[in-house]
Amino acid sequence: MTDPIDPQAPEAPEAPAGPYVYDYMAAPNRQVVLPKTVPLPSLRTYQAEVAAAAAADEAKWQKQLADFEVAKAKAEAEGKDAPKPPVRAVPRKDDNDLKTPWPTEAKDADLLKLQELLGGQVEEVFEQAGERVCQVKKEAILEALKVCRDEPSLKYEMLADQSATHYPAAKDFAFSIVYHLTSVSRSRRLRLRILVPEGFVPESACPLYPSANWMEREIYDMLGIRFANHPDMTRILCPEDWEGYPLRKEYPTVGLGQRDIDFRDDRGGVLNRLAMEKAGQMGINLKQPKAD
Amino acid sequence: MFKNEEMEINLGPQHPSTHGVLRVKLRLDGETVTKCTPIIGYLHRGVEKICENQTYFQGQVWTDRMDYVASISNNLGWAEGVEKLFGIEVPRRAKYIRTMLTEQNRLASHLLWLATHALDIGAMTVFLYAFREREYLLDLFEAFCGARLTTTAFRIGGLREDLPPGFIKSSQAFQDRFLACIDEYEELLTENRIWKKRTVGVAKLSAEDCIALGVTGPVLRAAGVPYDIRRAFPNAAYAEMDFEIPTRPEADTYARYLVRLAEMRQSHRIIQQCIDGLPEGPVMAKIPKILRSEVNEVYHPIEAPKGELGYYFVGEKGGTMPYRMHVRAPSFVNLQALSKMTEGRLLADVIAAIGTLDVVLGEIDR
Amino acid sequence: MGVNSPTALEHVLITTKVEKVINWARASSVWPMTFGLACCAIEMMAAGASRFDFDRFGAGIFRATPRQSDLMIVAGTVTYKMAPVIKKLYDQMPEPKWVIAMGSCATAGGPFDSYHTIQGVDKVIPVDVFIPGCPPRPESLIYGFLKLQDKIMTSSIADRYKEIFEEVG
Repeated sequence: MTDPIDPQAPEAPEAPAGPYVYDYMAAPNRQVVLPKTVPLPSLRTYQAEVAAAAAADEAKWQKQLADFEVAKAKAEAEGKDAPKPPVRAVPRKDDNDLKTPWPTEAKDADLLKLQELLGGQVEEVFEQAGERVCQVKKEAILEALKVCRDEPSLKYEMLADQSATHYPAAKDFAFSIVYHLTSVSRSRRLRLRILVPEGFVPESACPLYPSANWMEREIYDMLGIRFANHPDMTRILCPEDWEGYPLRKEYPTVGLGQRDIDFRDDRGGVLNRLAMEKAGQMGINLKQPKAD
Repeated sequence: MFKNEEMEINLGPQHPSTHGVLRVKLRLDGETVTKCTPIIGYLHRGVEKICENQTYFQGQVWTDRMDYVASISNNLGWAEGVEKLFGIEVPRRAKYIRTMLTEQNRLASHLLWLATHALDIGAMTVFLYAFREREYLLDLFEAFCGARLTTTAFRIGGLREDLPPGFIKSSQAFQDRFLACIDEYEELLTENRIWKKRTVGVAKLSAEDCIALGVTGPVLRAAGVPYDIRRAFPNAAYAEMDFEIPTRPEADTYARYLVRLAEMRQSHRIIQQCIDGLPEGPVMAKIPKILRSEVNEVYHPIEAPKGELGYYFVGEKGGTMPYRMHVRAPSFVNLQALSKMTEGRLLADVIAAIGTLDVVLGEIDR
Repeated sequence: MGVNSPTALEHVLITTKVEKVINWARASSVWPMTFGLACCAIEMMAAGASRFDFDRFGAGIFRATPRQSDLMIVAGTVTYKMAPVIKKLYDQMPEPKWVIAMGSCATAGGPFDSYHTIQGVDKVIPVDVFIPGCPPRPESLIYGFLKLQDKIMTSSIADRYKEIFEEVG
């Protein structure tokens, strides 16, 4: 006699034994997620996007009208009432105080002057969020900085900041390096930007602006971009023997395991090891021969 | 007979001067410094990388720990930078309260500077007096946002809540007694023969060198250049405030000391104006619960007690976290000037120079 | 000589164990080393300043050199570049020595879970007292210090050096 086969009841999920444990290894800041977009603000791409969005919206509206015409004809043919005419959809207005700054045409005298002086070297100028941005060709950065500093109507005497960003998803370039210039006498700011591919060695701004010294060392330390004619191109924040460039997008926040070295192995063991390596590099043999 | 060699010594990461883990490699000829190389990175915590994984709201927490002496300035820079990125307009009352807190924070930072600088040079009494004043300010901060030191005081769009009851009264009480305290410090130090011998003519940095090296803040103003971001690119409620920018022509340590004391008096003036003219109204703008950015980059500088503190954000389309966050720390750029200030001078002047630059390693190493 | 009727001699004579006296002396005059790394250093300075006076516990003199100090208050974040320096300084301190890990960064890396931060100073040196907080208020530091004093008072000299004697042989 066989048992009646019960209809398959869904299997109850396995209840985890023990208390709930937070899996910190799966936390978002430990995962390396390479970005898929290239968030490089640019007037050209913004205008292209706006035009494309307007075109798509227009196409959608035309399709709605066409569908309405077809439906109206069908309803008349069948003798039913005409369907409601379509209403153009109005973009929903968010109820908040956000006024997103979009890139606009460059009207500022400084930007126009820069465009006039540098001519073909300038790839793009625009204004966004009250800031003036000028993108130049990567080979022309030293010339652009010189013009900004020495031209009497521009007079950007101080390099406030220099930093770089990694764009792994971009095709023609890998990094963007931005220079923030300040004119102390005229109280104005300007941002110069260049796009460099992997392996390109841009000119250092140190001869013109000595404040770029440590800034470029930091860019090298964090992103791996070397600068030509720099007085001291070494790592500044991470130790000299650090491997990898931390601010690249493929580098995980928690690092590649260098921080998990056990420093307590023996009294002064780490220093011994470092001293041995350094001596080995200098050609001195520190190891005592074992007495047999 | 006696070899006249140069000696290379290490002013190591651990030293009595309380500025943090700064290492300075000095090459000395006797007592004179021939080459001075600061080595940093002993407090590099990877804040820029961490903030790429934190939302725009969460990232403020790490900003307090950069310039840990003056946390509220860092918070102001972050909040205003993000607000610039999103185009958020902050209500007027919030701007006034932010200005008031930032100026009180400037006082706290300058008091700590005075305490540690004087301690390095040898005047230990000033350390205890300045910390006594600082405790009153830290009590005010604690009443407002719950923490003495690492405050996270502001929110994107304004403030989390209005001032607690009694805050204005306590601030006013502090204001009433503070000018007498500055006079006390001046009495101890300004005409003091030993102080003057240690600081007059020491660690000079001319205006051209300052601008070329990107040095900003009291160091630049003590070289005679009246450049203050509160005046040049006004943020928060500074456009409505009436204050002077103290400058001195000499550009040495004594001048920087006088400039910072004068700045404390001006901060006192600004706080008084904020208390007197505090407008009514909401303290928070209407913003969505989840902030998604568009493709945007901003650089927002503010006048921190140490110089120009700039926040650089790159936002990606629909991103809740910054694609790139970079902090232009004033101490990072100011410390480059250390070699120029000390070469050719005596060893004791190196300590005075580090103190007068007012460096905080937390923001240098980030 | 009964317990209830002290004689003249007992007014001037206390009998106790040598160990208790030594522990009491060590606990009452712990000299810390200035080892402020980051934000917690400011709170440590505030603890030593006029409001929360640290000197009343006998720990007022912050020695700058490890050779003259018994206590290392690691106040602040320990980074990979700084860790060998900490180890060197700890080795330079003479016995008996204690370590207080002040703040979340010294306890477990704090809010900085990044490539360059050591997650806790106890990965570098042995720690006696952990004080959580970011930064801990000066009262917390004082409480932690009092706990350290309790630890010193109740520690046994024989046990402390037993491991070292066994290691050396």
